[in-house]
Amino acid sequence: MARPADRFPASTAKSAFPYLLAVAFALTFALSLRAAQVDPRLLFDAQALGNVARFVRGALPPKLDPEFLGMLARPAAETIQISVMGMVIAVLLGAPLGLLATSSLTWRGILHERVTRRARLMLGAAPYGAARALLSVFRSIPEYVWALMFVRAVGLGPFPGVLAIGVAYGGMLGKVYSEILEAVNPRPLETLHAAGAGKAGVVLYGLLPEALPHVVSYTLYRWECAIRASAILGFVGAGGLGQQIELSMRMFQFDEVLTLLAVLLLLVGTVDFISGRIRARVVR
Amino acid sequence: MYELRDVRKVFDDGSVALDGMSLTVGAGEHVAFIGPSGAGKTTLFRILNLTLRPTSGMLRLNGTDVATLSGADLRRARTSIGTIYQQHNLVGRLRVVHNVLAGNLGRWSTLTALGSLLRPRATDEAARALAQVGIPEKLYARTDELSGGQQQRVAIARVLIQDPDVVLADEPVSSVDPTLAVSIVTLLRDISNESRKTLLMNLHSVELALTYFPRILGIREGRVHFDLSPDKVSPEMLEELYAGHGDERGELAALGEGTNSFGKACRPLPGFDR
Ligand SMILES: Nc1ncnc2c1ncn2[C@@H]1O[C@H](COP(=O)(O)OP(=O)(O)OP(=O)(O)O)[C@@H](O)[C@H]1O
Ligand SMILES: [Mg+2]
Repeated sequence: MARPADRFPASTAKSAFPYLLAVAFALTFALSLRAAQVDPRLLFDAQALGNVARFVRGALPPKLDPEFLGMLARPAAETIQISVMGMVIAVLLGAPLGLLATSSLTWRGILHERVTRRARLMLGAAPYGAARALLSVFRSIPEYVWALMFVRAVGLGPFPGVLAIGVAYGGMLGKVYSEILEAVNPRPLETLHAAGAGKAGVVLYGLLPEALPHVVSYTLYRWECAIRASAILGFVGAGGLGQQIELSMRMFQFDEVLTLLAVLLLLVGTVDFISGRIRARVVR
Repeated sequence: MYELRDVRKVFDDGSVALDGMSLTVGAGEHVAFIGPSGAGKTTLFRILNLTLRPTSGMLRLNGTDVATLSGADLRRARTSIGTIYQQHNLVGRLRVVHNVLAGNLGRWSTLTALGSLLRPRATDEAARALAQVGIPEKLYARTDELSGGQQQRVAIARVLIQDPDVVLADEPVSSVDPTLAVSIVTLLRDISNESRKTLLMNLHSVELALTYFPRILGIREGRVHFDLSPDKVSPEMLEELYAGHGDERGELAALGEGTNSFGKACRPLPGFDR
């Protein structure tokens, strides 16, 4: 029997690659340390420690009087509502664009063997390219920046937050949907196609059922992110808990801030729980 | 039904799967294709069901050059051809009923197709097809929970629903036990006889091919090696057809002793008693 070394000569050969990689990493790390002005001492100098102490003293105990808690119900609900409406828009944008951005569905691969080159480019590749470009614009601009723009456009309140999440997350969902769909085993799709099914039939009876667990799972994960994001968006005036946090911070009401953060934690935990239940049902 | 002239198929990676294949199949004929692994049988079937486009050569379906077909015509032509694949190619996450009813997709509108996913229509038709292949109780089972042989039968039930003029079966019995293999081959033969369908079948088992088909096509290296009735197929021809393919030789040797994988169902074939 051949010794392992005979069968896998590559594994015993001396290669410089790992060492080069290590040097490159060390260099990047050192440069970043300087450029990002990382200085642990700043965390521990007297002034910083004083500030931290002031925050902690101010925050404890958290403000729990019924009047304040009652006042939180509305922004908490608003945060949820922003995330849900934002996700609805995100799915409505991401799903059709994601389908168009799936090359195996629009212009490449076994479903297009008998489509003329011209039709493939005009009716397939062109919409595919447009969808991908749009998706990448949507998701490369941070939701925070989208919110700033929408606040300008439609004014303060939850609506710009909804739009910001819808567009930014629509871009992410569409991109990931298309990757999930392209990874689906093409053989069952070929079978449907060969039996006379059109694109819609292939999508409904092959592509979507096969991809459903991943699609649902990723969408729920994004919803969890949207809750956190909708809190951040409050900082630029897009409503919800974030706006309250920002207000209380500015007034140095750290006990309120702590309560608000606790409520946010509760919301994220609840969403986590609900999406876990949905996942368990769908992803089998 | 089919007329092929000098059909070649070269894949993008340069491998030549079909190398000038010419043959004619009449309506209602039953033909078995045999030949070593990699001979091009599956590729031929994918060309015959209008999935792949030949690199060169001509394919006529009912007198029409298929190169001229596109759009709705192409879809209609595909609807008239039913394929049972070597791998079952079913959608595992769907219930059996939907995989069977998918045979209707060539005729259904998008709305009908969507509606049936939510509330299956024509379930009695699907149930009848499943009964015909012997698994009526699996109508609402999840497809990926079935055994390989059961999935193969779901694929056949789908073709029954599709009700095509031609049935292409690509090694439909490679994943089932020998007795079931015989019953699947005879089932496909009987169904095709009843409704006068053309039946083309790829078979790894020379025994099944010679026993159940009136016309045998030997395929080797992308070409027709012989095209004969089973009584004209000699052991020498089979030796030659499978030359250089050791594993399949083993099966040939067993044929002579009557102890091949099909057990009692098989008798030693004349001429194999060396
Ligand atoms: N998609 C593909 N891309 C590249 N080469 C391919 C492709 N499909 C098949 N081939 C090659 O074409 C040749 C014929 O393959 P094919 O699957 O038609 O053989 P087969 O007769 O069905 O074999 P088996 O009996 O093992 O199923 C093989 O050499 C194979 O590697
Ligand atoms: Mg094959």
